[in-house]
Amino acid sequence: MNKENQNPADARLGALLRASRPSPSLPPRFPESVWRRIEDAAAPVKPESWLDALAMLVLRPRFTFATVAVLVLAGAFLGAYHGTQAARQDAQAQYLAAVAPAALR
Amino acid sequence: MNRSLVIVLGALAFGAALFCGSYAAGQRLCRVCVAQPAGSLDWVRREFHLNNAEMARIQTLHENYLSQCAAMCRIVTAKKQEVAAVLGNTTNVNPVAEQKLAELAACRARCQSRMLQYFVEVSGVMPPAEGRRYLAQMQNFTLGLQEGNAQSTLEPAGHEHHQP
Repeated sequence: MNKENQNPADARLGALLRASRPSPSLPPRFPESVWRRIEDAAAPVKPESWLDALAMLVLRPRFTFATVAVLVLAGAFLGAYHGTQAARQDAQAQYLAAVAPAALR
Repeated sequence: MNRSLVIVLGALAFGAALFCGSYAAGQRLCRVCVAQPAGSLDWVRREFHLNNAEMARIQTLHENYLSQCAAMCRIVTAKKQEVAAVLGNTTNVNPVAEQKLAELAACRARCQSRMLQYFVEVSGVMPPAEGRRYLAQMQNFTLGLQEGNAQSTLEPAGHEHHQP
């Protein structure tokens, strides 16, 4: 507490100031409506359809990054496997072409 | 259009493009990295798990065979040209054409016989199990060649030896 608030003249002045600026009366059930709006804002948005739910899932950064990583890794591994198989077949074809040239066929 | 539908379709298209791009990149990279120079025997080494000593012997057999094969292929090509020349002047198969065809067939048979002999020699250098596997694969290939003769005789003759 400071000394100004203990001055009786200031206390009277404060009362006069409050009386000169009357605050408007609040609507009925004002605190309840404030709490209800706060709760509504904090609650997660419920999707209207499965498509909205899927779109919301797609837009989640964690889901997006995980999906991208899985797709890149799966594609690269599958491509590498097939590339290795194709290179092996190419090498076999080269060997067979060397030992059995086109004139024989 | 519905915003959610656009988002889902866009995500599907992006995912498909990402997967295809990764697949193509992985495939190309591996194919280039694993590719071997033409005429190389690396396929035989890797496929049948051969050591350096075995590969050196196979390399000698291979070079010896290729020189003989090239000579035989020149003979086959010459016989093909003779057959074409005889058949080009007539509308039916006369005795001369039949004789030339028989000579061509005999040349091919000698080539294939020598090829089988080469396969047997190479398989003999390999460990027994690998040798049997190699010989089985090559014999299947040779039999496949015999079945394909009629069709590929019509193709222009060419010598495609890849010398090491």
